[in-house]
Amino acid sequence: MTGSRLRDEMPHGPLHLILVLATLLTLYPVFWVFSIAFSGKQSLAIADLPANPRAIDRLRAVIPWPEKISASNFVSVMTDQPFARWILNSALVAIFTTVLGVFLACTAAYAFSRFKFPGRRPGMMAFLVSQMFPGTLMLIPLYIIIVQILGLGSSRIGLIIVYATTSIPFSVWMLKGYFDTIPKELEEAAVIEGASAGKIFWRIVLPLAKPAVAITALFSFMTSWNEFILAATFMDKENMYTAPVGLRFFVGGFSQQWGYFAAGSIIVSIPVVLLFLYLQKYLVSGLTAGGVKG
Amino acid sequence: MESLRRVAAAALTALVAAPATAATEIVVWHAYRAEEKAALEKVAGAYNAAHPNTHVSTLAVPYDAFADKISAAVPRGKGPDVFIYAQDRLGGWIEAGNTVEPIDFFIDKDTKDRFIPTTLEAMTYKGTVYGLPLNYKCITLIYNKKLVANPPKDSDELVAVAKKNTDKAAGRFGLAYAYSDYYYHAALQNAFGGHVFEAGAKPAINNPDNAKALEYLLKWLDKDQILPAEPSTALITALFNDGKAAMIFNGPWFLGEISKNIDYGLAPLPKIKEAGNTPMKPWMTVEGALIAAPSKNKDAAYDFIKYLTDKPAGIVMAVEGRQSPANKAVYAEPKVAGDAVLKSFRDQVEVAIPMPNLPEMTMVWSPATTVMNSVTRHSASPKAALDSAQAAISKDVAGLRKK
Amino acid sequence: MTAGTSHRLRFLVGVALAALLGAALLRAFVSGASRQIADEAEERKAIVTLQAATSLAHSAGDGDAVRKVMAAWQARTPSVSQVRVFLADGMRLEASTAPGDAGERAAPRRLQREEKPLYDRSQRIAAAAQTNREEQQARKAEIEAAPLGGGRLSLAGPVEKDRAPVGLVEIETALQPTPRTPGWSGFLLAVIAPLAAFALLALIIGERRLPLLLAGVACVAVSLFWMGRAAAAQIAAEQQRAAQAVAERVREQGAVTQEVARAQGLKTDPAAPGIWDVDGFRKPRGLIAADGSVDAQRLGLQMKEAAGAVRKTLLAAGALSLVLLLVAGLGGFSAVGATLRRHRQAYLYIAPAMLGMLALVFFPFAYGVTLSFTDSNLYNTSRPLSEIWVGLRNYADILGDFGFVKRSESGIFLNYLNFYWTLLFTILWTVTNVAIGVTSGLILALILNTKALALRPLYRVLLILPWAMPNYITALIWKGMFHQQFGVINQLLQVFGLPAVSWFDRPATSFLTALVTNGWLSFPFMMVVSLGALQSISADLYEAARVDGATRWQQFKAITLPSLKPALVPAVIISVVWTFNMFNIIYLVTGGEPSSSTEILVTQAYKFAFERYRYGYAAAYSTVIFGILLVYGVIQNRVSKATEA
Repeated sequence: MTGSRLRDEMPHGPLHLILVLATLLTLYPVFWVFSIAFSGKQSLAIADLPANPRAIDRLRAVIPWPEKISASNFVSVMTDQPFARWILNSALVAIFTTVLGVFLACTAAYAFSRFKFPGRRPGMMAFLVSQMFPGTLMLIPLYIIIVQILGLGSSRIGLIIVYATTSIPFSVWMLKGYFDTIPKELEEAAVIEGASAGKIFWRIVLPLAKPAVAITALFSFMTSWNEFILAATFMDKENMYTAPVGLRFFVGGFSQQWGYFAAGSIIVSIPVVLLFLYLQKYLVSGLTAGGVKG
Repeated sequence: MESLRRVAAAALTALVAAPATAATEIVVWHAYRAEEKAALEKVAGAYNAAHPNTHVSTLAVPYDAFADKISAAVPRGKGPDVFIYAQDRLGGWIEAGNTVEPIDFFIDKDTKDRFIPTTLEAMTYKGTVYGLPLNYKCITLIYNKKLVANPPKDSDELVAVAKKNTDKAAGRFGLAYAYSDYYYHAALQNAFGGHVFEAGAKPAINNPDNAKALEYLLKWLDKDQILPAEPSTALITALFNDGKAAMIFNGPWFLGEISKNIDYGLAPLPKIKEAGNTPMKPWMTVEGALIAAPSKNKDAAYDFIKYLTDKPAGIVMAVEGRQSPANKAVYAEPKVAGDAVLKSFRDQVEVAIPMPNLPEMTMVWSPATTVMNSVTRHSASPKAALDSAQAAISKDVAGLRKK
Repeated sequence: MTAGTSHRLRFLVGVALAALLGAALLRAFVSGASRQIADEAEERKAIVTLQAATSLAHSAGDGDAVRKVMAAWQARTPSVSQVRVFLADGMRLEASTAPGDAGERAAPRRLQREEKPLYDRSQRIAAAAQTNREEQQARKAEIEAAPLGGGRLSLAGPVEKDRAPVGLVEIETALQPTPRTPGWSGFLLAVIAPLAAFALLALIIGERRLPLLLAGVACVAVSLFWMGRAAAAQIAAEQQRAAQAVAERVREQGAVTQEVARAQGLKTDPAAPGIWDVDGFRKPRGLIAADGSVDAQRLGLQMKEAAGAVRKTLLAAGALSLVLLLVAGLGGFSAVGATLRRHRQAYLYIAPAMLGMLALVFFPFAYGVTLSFTDSNLYNTSRPLSEIWVGLRNYADILGDFGFVKRSESGIFLNYLNFYWTLLFTILWTVTNVAIGVTSGLILALILNTKALALRPLYRVLLILPWAMPNYITALIWKGMFHQQFGVINQLLQVFGLPAVSWFDRPATSFLTALVTNGWLSFPFMMVVSLGALQSISADLYEAARVDGATRWQQFKAITLPSLKPALVPAVIISVVWTFNMFNIIYLVTGGEPSSSTEILVTQAYKFAFERYRYGYAAAYSTVIFGILLVYGVIQNRVSKATEA
């Protein structure tokens, strides 16, 4: 019995080979960024090539290890401009965006999932369809609303409102699917016991939907952390810039400073990668078990 | 909230410090980094020290976002008092309205005379001056001193020297420049009297002089065979740094990328014999200090930009910011006169032509690149390529003008 | 209002609302039209006055003559409070009757610092005249009007020598106050009368709905019709009055200029003052005959146009009121109110999210769609949208341009700016990307799902890293790696003896760079989705299939694939939408190189807006993109539902 079972399964050896290859290919750009960041220079090249490079020299230039390890790029990035302040701005905006976005998405998704009311299907369609708007051309109308009408230019609140709102459609869609899979009997039992609607929502439903809420939070955070053009246009003071704006200083225009860009990229990526890893156990369940069924 | 606080603060100051007037705030936006940024901030600091009644503050904006930020913020009254940008977007901003303030009224003859005349032209749109020129950039001849003893003065010498240094099999070329980039090709085109627009912003890219210039380029490419086949900027840099390109046409932005082991020299672009011995006339990009139309402190703003384009500030921008100031007097200063690079570009700019600042110019680049690509790859004759570019540009321009 | 409310009450409310709406719309139209007629008349009168002054300035030339002439002219023109003549040569204020320009500041003098606006105005007008002449069309205003508050207007027009502008004439004139808003008596009558009439009829008719409806319609219609007739008459009268006023001004100014010229001994045209009635581009309006009398024919045409507009508004107002009447009378409002109350909890829950979406997502989108029906571009952003309306022309230009292949002497080449080429390319881009993403994600998920695989958590964490990093950072990283000289990709190629590729110089290789970058970025998402779906398949199914003798491939087809579908299909839809609109990768990695051959629809739209300044066209482009995705979403949804069932 055991023998035939073993024979029917794939041998793990070649599988590991494929996985290792895939992992190396996936991680190579990350290694590359690290080696440029720690090289202390601004060049794209990992190693300077001599006049007539042989294959060995070229191979050296491909291996992601800097010729001389130096932290000078990191030091320059943090000291030549208020980079720490910019990261703080990004963090504040991202955290509040997440809180606001999750709150708005959860309440709306709960209503769509639990209540039957006229306008329910058109509402869901509207959320889905709004993801298809090409967002690049909304810059001017959004500028008029946020900066001119609401006067929120150079304020983090303006960015928070815009980011939270634009992350709602995807979040509502996902959360609703997840709420759909939570059996209604639990809530009905709580109603019989006399619990209010609010308590049901906060104490019973939300904890059960943790994976989907985690994904929503992650998604809102990432949308906010990575956005560049709105932040660059709305903010009028240097100490209000966010991290992506700061990074763009290094590679725009005519001269590219790859060393600073690489160092800055690593600094900017670490928080979101850590958050991602912390929440990644929810990724699989949150996204699929009912989540993406729509 | 912010403005309310500021108003309260100003009111309080006015009450307490009765005789002294509150300092005028001038906000300046720019897209500089590193040394240029440091030089600009030094100039602003010097101005603030000399003018206690005015406070100039600078804000650096990433280059990629700068133009869009100006277009979004300034017409709505939310922008700076002064901003520094090149002339290529000037026409567009002027036509959009409420963005750039005309300054002929402020300029007196002395101020006008201090600039290299063509730089002031670059800041002029339909007869009105809209900014004071700060600096200029244009391409010139850069050569490898080991391979070229004396830089050529005219096209015959150029071809001779280039041919000596060309060995296609070994990947060595006498002349290498991004000839399929219209900006670089303009230097050759302008020598033949070629142009892009006629009076009234009428596209005229298919005029016979442009065709002649293209045919001349093909002579260098096919007959003299002194140019590489794939002229990407990355390749040109690689060739020059490997010592495989004897001469290149490039601008000040390139100097930072030249490898340390190349001993290079700068010289004015040669004269073209076939164009009646006219020198190659490159396009120049002029960065100007512009005053925002909704600014509340235009007089103070003008005072600052006048200072910024004056000799002392110009020396700081030249020596520390590595810019080429548009102010003629700066070049008399020994520190600047002794700098070979600055002197070379100063000599070159004498024959440079300001790039058109019309809004229609942005519609030219794409069709022009297509022309250069198809002509140099021999998939179209110069006349045919220019004709189709003319059709495309005219269509775009007409689309903009339809009532 | 509950279900028990009587029909009569419902219809009464309906009639009231309908009458109110109809009357309000008509009244708004009439007061708007009146104001417009009055404003236009005032503007024309002011322009006539300006042109009269300008003709005197022309005859006088410069120097003392022009000063005397202007003073004399102003003395005889009470509506003008000051006139100034400015000559650009030497920035000279040549003549001025402004009270402040006396004594030391008397003309002629150079302009002072704070008078910059006058100088700028002169330059603007001169540039406008030059532009109009060069482009041979009337695009820029040559006469500028600026309201000064307090019912005064500052008007300026060019002064010419040999048909070239050399300065300007500026007048400040008092405008007659705009007419008071029309009395409310007509409005009240139009509301109360039908209401009273209907009430009476309702008493007679009783509770039958159809007769009530007909009665209500009749009352409202009659009232609106009567009000419309009154409106038409009023507007016609006002137009007549306006035309007469302008004609009178023309004659008056004609007489004044003759007088002044004669007094100063100047030559002037034997008065043909009718030519002074011009528009902002100095083109004659043709409404006044040369001698200053009203051209009855043209006026008649204008009045007919106005009557047509009244009729259209009447019909629109009537239609809207009818709708309102129907809705109210047949119980629409009570139904809506009941629904809102019944489901108020649900609506409360979704209200905040919906509010945000409406303001920040739907409204900008609606703005974009509205813009797509106009010809908004760099030159006309300040004009109201109604003036630059072009309807479907942008869409026709985009969708009707089939010329994506061009023939030249040396063969055919592709027109990369053509919409259909870009569409084809975008579809190719999307299909290849999603295919690569799904395939690689699925394969990796299958491998990771193997039972008892060592180090599985480690692999999983490492393989989702591309998704975690911000995508504009990774886009620029890949662009750096594809650098022609220093990029590691080319270095690696050369290690194996292959030549370095200039990636961004040919469309195919440029496309490849973007494909690799986006493939790297997008496979983790598909991998995670597939993993989740795979993990939800019970192992017993496989067990049963094996016992039945199915091969691994048959197991895959019969068990794995169908279970994957419900999870993969929505993921594919989302992925298609995201990839179709993937601005960052194309913009940052290839930038459309070479020569716009690797643009996708979104980047093309962006360039139309921000590089070619054609905002209306770009908005139409975006709406087309949205339409394509919408159609795709609907079709895909239907197809997948059909196969599922």
